Amino acid sequence: MPATLERASPARARTRLSRPQLIRAAITAALLLFVLLGLPQLMSLYYIDTMTQVAVYSMVAVGLGVLVGRVGLVSLGQVAVLAIGAWVAARLLFATTQPFPLVLLEAGLITMVLGVVIGLPALRLRGLYLALITLMLAGAITVVLATVNFPNGGHGFLGYNGSLVHIPPIRRPSIATSDPAYFRYSVVVAILMFALVLAHIKTRPGRAWAAIRQSEPAALAAGINIWFYKLWAFALASFITGVAGGVLAGAVHYLYSIGFPTQDSITLLAVTLMGGVYSLWGAVVAALLYQFLPALLNNWGVSADWLIILFGVGVLQVLTTAPAGLADQVPRDLARLGRFLRNHVRKAAPAPTQGSTK
Amino acid sequence: MKRLIPARLARRTIMLAAAIALAAAGCSSSSSTSTPAATSTTPGTSATSATPGTTAVSTSQCGSKPGVAATGTPIALGAIATNQPGTSFTDIPNMANAYFACVNANGGINGHPIKLYIETEQTNPAQIAADAKQLVQTDHVVGIIGNTSIIECSVDSSYWQKLGYYIIDSGIAPECYSTPNSAAVNMGPRYSSDGAVQYALAQHASKIVFDQSNVPGTGYIAAGPAALAKAANVPIVQLTENVPISDADSVAIKEVDDAGPNGAVVLNFTPPEALVILQAAQKLGLEDRVKLWGCSTPCNTDFLAASLGPKWNSKLFVNAELTPPDTTNTATMNLYKAILKQYGSAVSGGIGSFSQMGFTEAEIAVHALESITSGSYTVASVNTAFKAVSGFNTGMLCQLWTYGSYPMHIPNNADYTVTPDNGKMVTAQGCTQISSVDPQIAQYRGVAGTAPLAP
Amino acid sequence: MPSWQDFEPFIVSGLALGGVYALSGVGLVVLYRATGVLYLAFGAVGALGALIAWSLQKAGTPGWLSWLASVAVAAAVTLGYGILFGPALARRDPLVKAVATIGLTLILYGLMDLLWTTSGGQARSITLPTDGSGFSVGQIQVTWTQVIALAAGVVLTVATGAFLRYTKLGTAMRAMANDRDITATLGVPVRRVEAAAWLGCGVLAGMAGLLLADLVALDATTLTFLVISSLAAVLIARLRSITVTFIAAIVIGLLHDLLTPVNSLTNYRDMTPFVIAAVALLILSRHQVMSQSREEA
Repeated sequence: MPATLERASPARARTRLSRPQLIRAAITAALLLFVLLGLPQLMSLYYIDTMTQVAVYSMVAVGLGVLVGRVGLVSLGQVAVLAIGAWVAARLLFATTQPFPLVLLEAGLITMVLGVVIGLPALRLRGLYLALITLMLAGAITVVLATVNFPNGGHGFLGYNGSLVHIPPIRRPSIATSDPAYFRYSVVVAILMFALVLAHIKTRPGRAWAAIRQSEPAALAAGINIWFYKLWAFALASFITGVAGGVLAGAVHYLYSIGFPTQDSITLLAVTLMGGVYSLWGAVVAALLYQFLPALLNNWGVSADWLIILFGVGVLQVLTTAPAGLADQVPRDLARLGRFLRNHVRKAAPAPTQGSTK
Repeated sequence: MKRLIPARLARRTIMLAAAIALAAAGCSSSSSTSTPAATSTTPGTSATSATPGTTAVSTSQCGSKPGVAATGTPIALGAIATNQPGTSFTDIPNMANAYFACVNANGGINGHPIKLYIETEQTNPAQIAADAKQLVQTDHVVGIIGNTSIIECSVDSSYWQKLGYYIIDSGIAPECYSTPNSAAVNMGPRYSSDGAVQYALAQHASKIVFDQSNVPGTGYIAAGPAALAKAANVPIVQLTENVPISDADSVAIKEVDDAGPNGAVVLNFTPPEALVILQAAQKLGLEDRVKLWGCSTPCNTDFLAASLGPKWNSKLFVNAELTPPDTTNTATMNLYKAILKQYGSAVSGGIGSFSQMGFTEAEIAVHALESITSGSYTVASVNTAFKAVSGFNTGMLCQLWTYGSYPMHIPNNADYTVTPDNGKMVTAQGCTQISSVDPQIAQYRGVAGTAPLAP
Repeated sequence: MPSWQDFEPFIVSGLALGGVYALSGVGLVVLYRATGVLYLAFGAVGALGALIAWSLQKAGTPGWLSWLASVAVAAAVTLGYGILFGPALARRDPLVKAVATIGLTLILYGLMDLLWTTSGGQARSITLPTDGSGFSVGQIQVTWTQVIALAAGVVLTVATGAFLRYTKLGTAMRAMANDRDITATLGVPVRRVEAAAWLGCGVLAGMAGLLLADLVALDATTLTFLVISSLAAVLIARLRSITVTFIAAIVIGLLHDLLTPVNSLTNYRDMTPFVIAAVALLILSRHQVMSQSREEA
């Protein structure tokens, strides 16, 4: 079986992209160009700041999506991982004058190492146990953060000075200090992270994950090192979330431990499921639900509680009827609508009618 | 599969209903006020009946032309307030809005109505920064009054400085008191805790235990009581608790153990958390095991007094940043109660320090706006007027209130001390200055002098 | 290092806290054994009931009636959830079923914050008649409510353990939680048994909610997410043994409070449930892969 996997790889590399794939790629490229160049002109600063948050959380969601959708590991502690990434980035940004991209890389790597170290013993657990232990670990990290706080320019390892009357802001990259520029910067970082995930999915790790998700015993029998690939997924998710934490630190300028409560990890899982864990667009949808909708509702004066209720309903909906989430459901519903309309039109025409599929 | 369809239909219907409800909620709310319709949380003392000894006052006194509705171009002002499960400060801008509604119905500002844009936030720095930009760039507000947020001053102070906004707020974060662009009507957690500790020291407590909630700024807040205790040669123990508190028993036991029989326990928490600790102390039978208990201003509500019961009469001493409403019968206090009753339907807390703060901030803003003679209300003119407020008698504070061009502002630095008395808060000590032993107070008095007490 | 004298009052308060964790923890394990679902909405449903009792009491309803209403609402919500979503998810992994209850939790949490808004100066509290009296142990007072909570945990542990093992209905519930389809082929009226299980769960959540609202705080956020700390005890028992859950909860509560006078650790004491659970799980799983497949119940 592993030999088949090896053989499949070079063959697939030689295949050219089919037409639908080319069209999809073109649309994606156009959309990304619009987001990078057009969106900042059209939106007020309020929404630009919000969309920067969307970029950050889309990275977190894609990491969680890899874990849940590709490997079948549910993590209820991704917000704690994000907090760690933000902490590391903030500490480095205050303590050193390193360029921003380097700090992002370091934040990602350190978070990845921590994620692996914590994940390694936890990977002996499966299913519900694993989910619950991630929740426990997240709870522990949250308590630690509440006591050590985020760096605010102080000295020492923790870099926190509690008596400051003026807290210095966390710096941004010199090329992207304004809000619209930082928005573009964060979108570029997000694109890079998504590309990283895509590269994983299309190559051997992606196939190994698919095999593991399908059936662990079968994958084991096929010679796939389950532990290694699960750890790889953990490492990837932690790295991306750590980088996202760094971008978040630059975006907000000030970090507080009350901004990362344990229950946020639960809400994050809810929106990631709703967005869809099987497609990369699902992560974007999840981030829009998590950050853009609340900002919109806040502007309209609607309480954020309605959104929490919606997320609860969404989780139930996804789990009972639409496992692939909105990213899959909406195109399918639109396609179904298209088919329905086409049949309707055909019925109205003099040609012999076909029964409507609905 | 057929069996599942009815259940699936039920689920789809629920989902659809939720979506429709969401859309309906979105369409029906306006953007200027943000609190949903008042529900079953009626306050302990409602504003519906006049307390004995108050003279009924017509609200039309708030404006310059009683009975004449203002119809000119609106003057846009903005406010940012925390509103999340467990912490809600929306009462403050809502009360300011009520005051503005009264003024708008009685002549406005030279015929111009005031429109207050209120943005709420959930302690998310990105959101707070975005809210500030929304107010300035989209709503085009010319002044900021009514901000009350755990971290807003820290996040936005450089933004306000850059744009030249001099805000009038109810401060919490350090930057609300340490920057040139913010002047608060309240004392904030540090100076209010100073007041409580000062009272405890005046009662000759041999040891102080200062316990506060673990929200941003604990080090800054603790420095005040630490300085006071050190100057009085009294040992002080500094504690913090993660909120929300799930185990109040251990908190109460620790505080009492650390304080000892001649010590004082001073708390700095929001009312629900302080209530939980004090109730735990009572259940455990610990309330008499220390010399006295103290609390910063958030505890100053009749609701807390009523919930605690008579065991805490003259046992708990609460710092009151604003003039006690129940025992004061001045024209301004009666106007406040009348406006609250007539226009304050969105103020769920009723009579209390939150609505008092909102009233005071609005009062100052209106006073400043009325002093603008040019007739043009721009960012420059409005903020110059705010900064020029000097020696204003708000009728709600111990001292005359001044903004001024100082690098820092602590204009409210004298307090009352109140104590529960069978369900109500009564005055235990009149206006007392916060000691200059607190270095920040000393620094402020160095630049601004000591404001005279209000008559 | 604090002396024995310093630790003594914390033993009593630690037992009380352990009772709180035990109430939620045992409730969760009982529900899991009876329905196969880790009912994460346990805290939210209890909070809803407690808030309804509070509102009714404010409106003048007599105490006992408001408690009855509160338990009834908790039972109705739980039963409704079980009937609507139980069958659809019955064949899925326990993880999926647990995540689905997260959906219910979010719905209830949003609803509670909408209906019982947070007001700046307000704090809600609920008192039970047993709050007023108690006895003293050493230097501190213990209220009858705390004793009841602890006793309720014990009674629950013993009674439900016996119920599930020795009665026909209890055995049917365990069988259904194990494998619904096979149980149905055995002639067990699955719909009725399922409804009974969910109804019982709801009553349990309602009663626990009232006690917790009294002992901890009447606050939707605190009560809803208290279940996270209680999960520690549940995890240590590997979702199987009710007795182990009870004992673990007591130990966690004791340890949490005993850390209070230790100045170097006191700020971290809220970590106690999480650290103990993580360590215990890692020790328990060191020789084997722990999976929660459908075959295990």
